[in-house]
Amino acid sequence: MDAKLKETILNPIFKGNPITVLVLGICSSLAVTVTLKGALVMALSVIVVCGISSLILSLLRNTIPSRVRIIVQLVVVAMMVILVDQVLKSFEATYAIDKQLSVYIGLIITNCIVMGRIEAFALGNKPWPSFLDGVANGAGYGMILLIVAFFRELLGSGTLFGVDVLNWLGYVPNNLVILPPFALILLGCIVWVQRSIQKDLQEK
Amino acid sequence: MNTNSNTYTVIYTTIIVTLVAAILAFVSQGLKAKQEANEKADTISQMMTAAKFATKAELQKMGNTAVLAKYAEEIENAFTVGTDGKKIADLDLDKVYSPKELKKQNYKIKDGSDAEIPVFIFKNGVTVVPVYGAGLWGPVWGYIAFEPNSNAIKGAYFDHESETAGLGAKIKDDPEFQAEFNGEKADFSNTNVFDIVKGGAPKNPDGTSVIDNKIDAITGATMTSNGLDAAIDTWLGAYAAYFGVTTAKDEDCCCEGDSCEEDKSCCEDNKTEEE
Repeated sequence: MDAKLKETILNPIFKGNPITVLVLGICSSLAVTVTLKGALVMALSVIVVCGISSLILSLLRNTIPSRVRIIVQLVVVAMMVILVDQVLKSFEATYAIDKQLSVYIGLIITNCIVMGRIEAFALGNKPWPSFLDGVANGAGYGMILLIVAFFRELLGSGTLFGVDVLNWLGYVPNNLVILPPFALILLGCIVWVQRSIQKDLQEK
Repeated sequence: MNTNSNTYTVIYTTIIVTLVAAILAFVSQGLKAKQEANEKADTISQMMTAAKFATKAELQKMGNTAVLAKYAEEIENAFTVGTDGKKIADLDLDKVYSPKELKKQNYKIKDGSDAEIPVFIFKNGVTVVPVYGAGLWGPVWGYIAFEPNSNAIKGAYFDHESETAGLGAKIKDDPEFQAEFNGEKADFSNTNVFDIVKGGAPKNPDGTSVIDNKIDAITGATMTSNGLDAAIDTWLGAYAAYFGVTTAKDEDCCCEGDSCEEDKSCCEDNKTEEE
């Protein structure tokens, strides 16, 4: 059981990463990775939403009528997303970021990772492993977000977390990097790297 | 228990939905005060950015309390006016117009009913007025600061709800776009008070902007630019009478020397002509 639990946590981080292997959550990973700060807040939000929704639905799993299970999932996930959004709006430090992420926090509800993991894992497993599965998938998603955001903020603004890194050397920020297409190019590179390390993902 | 019976399903979903609604209502009420404080500080910092007291980033770093303190220090007077330019009521200096309230007034301006639009005057004489309208995906709004008793624009700041990042969102994020407003002049005598021109506003031979009421639109964001243009025309149009009244005092009035005291009628004439 311990090995299985470990697998539950580690698999979504690398081998079964939701973005690079399952190709879920691409839209938001292109939209919110202009700055590391935004990506970090988005990543943490998805981890919280994914983990707690999985936990709640796993607790309810034996009581949910199977005919309306998707709707029940939707209600719980929507509640979590609204709660996260409300909390982000309430703190001075996160208010500006919430405004910057605008609709994308609300759109976590449409992120296939959340509903996908609930449907595939939480409804068939005990609460604790389900919670870890949700958190790990959120973390796998967040990790890719941070990698992409690292390069985009560094090359597109010359800063990291808003701190000047390249500009004082006379670096001229590249505007292409700010635009979503470059995030897709970066994502492609990450998939490329992962597939050359992990040979079993390559198509014959 | 049979979890698939109709009765069970109906009762189950009812309970879940009621429960979730209760939780959300409770949290929303609990956090409302904090959210409103954040929104207020944000609105104030937008006005102060337009009036060039500091940049938006600087104000953000200062934190809510410091922003409110600086505003209280700098603001001289705030009141509402009607579209006829007459003052309606004093505004509590503590009160700002949130985008939601601007939306209400926007409807009123458009259907011609009694709008009450705010004017904020700072101690250095700079007058700040809001604009509000529809962008491509959602509302756009902002603040335009005018030099004391003049139609010359000192600065502008715009915000939006959901314009495309990197394109329409530039009305907020691109300091160069906002800087284009600096030094331009609003033409209150025209229904086209201000123009955001696709394809380029007229330029001097040396590349500097001609001082008029035209600036360049944002490349790739024509719909947002048009929306902002319409918002500015509608709102500054609504303020035209007010600015007519205030600028008349200094410039257009024929009161010269001692004759001013006796003969004020010519001032009145000027006003009616402008209207």
